[in-house]
Amino acid sequence: MGYTLAEKLLASHTNDGKATAGDIVEANVDLLMVHEVLGSRILGVLEEMEFKKVWDPERIVVVNDHWAPASDINSAEIHRRNRNFVKDQGITHFYDVDCGISHHVLPEKGLIVPGELVIGSDSHSTTYGAFNTFSTGLAATDSALILATGSCWFRVPDSIRIDVTGELQDMVMSKDLILKIISDLGPDGANYQSMEFHGDTIDTMKVGERMTISNMSVEAGAKCAPMTVNGHVNKWMETLAPSKRWKPTLPDKDAEYIDTRTYDIKSDPLGPMVATPDSPTNGKAVREVSGVPIDQAFIGSCTNGRIGDLEIAAKILKGKKIREGVRLIITPASKHTWMMALERGLLKIFMEAGGIVTNSTCGACVGGHLGVLGAGEVCISSTNRNFKGRMGHQDSRIYLASPATVAASALMGAITDPRSV
Amino acid sequence: MTKELKPVTGRAWVFGNDVNTDQIIQGQYLTLLDYAEMAKHTFEIPRPVFKSKVKKNDIVIAGRNFGGGSSREEAPKVLLQSGIGCVVAESFARIFYRNGFNVGLPLLIIPNVAKLVSDGETVIVDLIEGTLSVRSSGDVLHGKPLPSRMLNLLKEGGAVAWYKQSSGKH
Ligand code: SF4
Repeated sequence: MGYTLAEKLLASHTNDGKATAGDIVEANVDLLMVHEVLGSRILGVLEEMEFKKVWDPERIVVVNDHWAPASDINSAEIHRRNRNFVKDQGITHFYDVDCGISHHVLPEKGLIVPGELVIGSDSHSTTYGAFNTFSTGLAATDSALILATGSCWFRVPDSIRIDVTGELQDMVMSKDLILKIISDLGPDGANYQSMEFHGDTIDTMKVGERMTISNMSVEAGAKCAPMTVNGHVNKWMETLAPSKRWKPTLPDKDAEYIDTRTYDIKSDPLGPMVATPDSPTNGKAVREVSGVPIDQAFIGSCTNGRIGDLEIAAKILKGKKIREGVRLIITPASKHTWMMALERGLLKIFMEAGGIVTNSTCGACVGGHLGVLGAGEVCISSTNRNFKGRMGHQDSRIYLASPATVAASALMGAITDPRSV
Repeated sequence: MTKELKPVTGRAWVFGNDVNTDQIIQGQYLTLLDYAEMAKHTFEIPRPVFKSKVKKNDIVIAGRNFGGGSSREEAPKVLLQSGIGCVVAESFARIFYRNGFNVGLPLLIIPNVAKLVSDGETVIVDLIEGTLSVRSSGDVLHGKPLPSRMLNLLKEGGAVAWYKQSSGKH
């Protein structure tokens, strides 16, 4: 019997080289990312552990991204603690409030390497699966244990294989595809499992689009969402991480999957999708909700704040004005993305259309700052979660969609199919 | 310093399916550095009365997929801080399941539990046997006994105590 991607990627990190679905294994972590949860929670756990030194200061990445720059005194204190920890422990990779969102910054800095085991103190750490890694999110205590020891226990997940074939149509994005897939699975359809993606759609997809898919797989409960390496990932690594040595990992031909799902978007074309409140798995075709009035449109986050996302939004907004009374907030995923958007003239298009461009941060996505919703307000957002109260007041409502659909909706002041503007 | 795992007796707070971590504790409170302060906002959205009415050893009962969404360990922490003795659900989201045992909050899986227990009823949960009994009717619901790894974590008093014990730092 052969092995899945999740099994093979984990097996290469256990002492005996074995990992079969259902086993509990101890595995050696290649990279650990921690953000504000370091200062707010992990340091307290480390203190209880009577911890002295991190296991390897070169394999830990610290990021201040959720409330960047500090939104209040508490977040300022958390950032201060993180900076001190980085200094005390001699941590090599530190990205302070000027850098952007962890899940975009790490790959951009060439820190995500195919074949590796990457853990983050954040549930959307599944994003790195787009780079052929086993990556998942854990919380403060597990992160503290990894900081001290470099290893962690894992239950080796069963895998669901997802094959996608065909080309995405104009104005349809990978966000629409993943909204469809997780809506079919439901909020716990992949709980404890690996969602393994294949097919020519995934194999030809750009890195950013693949990251959107791995990122949102966690909304169906997935533990990880690995893909195989494609030409775009190869090129990304050559350009951004030329010194790194790695080999691609493939699943065995006779790997065992607990479920296989096929999406043939060639014979059954996929249109833009919108997830209605209060679950990312409430995906509907945009026509079912078009016309719902909005107060705010948000483009940003680790799901869809990348250069490709900003480009498609700019294409829709160019030379036009958003509807009066609507706020359009654009938060590029990283400083590098911001600079590219500046050089390509995208920021000018957004500002002239009536938008607001913020610095790179999680910001509005986590209801932190720079776009918090008030009572009764409706937002269409390119983020990944529309839980009740996620972006602000508990009586606000969030519709999730692609950056194209968000931009089109900002123009019309109501949820709009981007193919119609 | 192994703890004995005595049965927990308390009132049931019954919830439905897919109670995510934003419903347990909203993102806007995560920068609060003191857990006691944060715990005042537990279940603020789905059950605003929770914080004023909760008593020590009360038990949270839920449907499928309790604790989905964010990885925040603050979710099981504020439940512990509020006095919750254990959570019994039809299933748990992956990260929440790990986090619960890591911080010393017992979690038990019992099929259909949210349909079979009424809100406010007094129930007795036996973690070793994996059972829940309803005091008034005497009905006993059977779940899966806890995996030994999780049982050991609870007996040690959570992952930190387990770490100190296993690395000989007692
Ligand atoms: S952008 Fe949103 S989902 Fe992504 S890491 Fe930040 S808060 Fe989490």
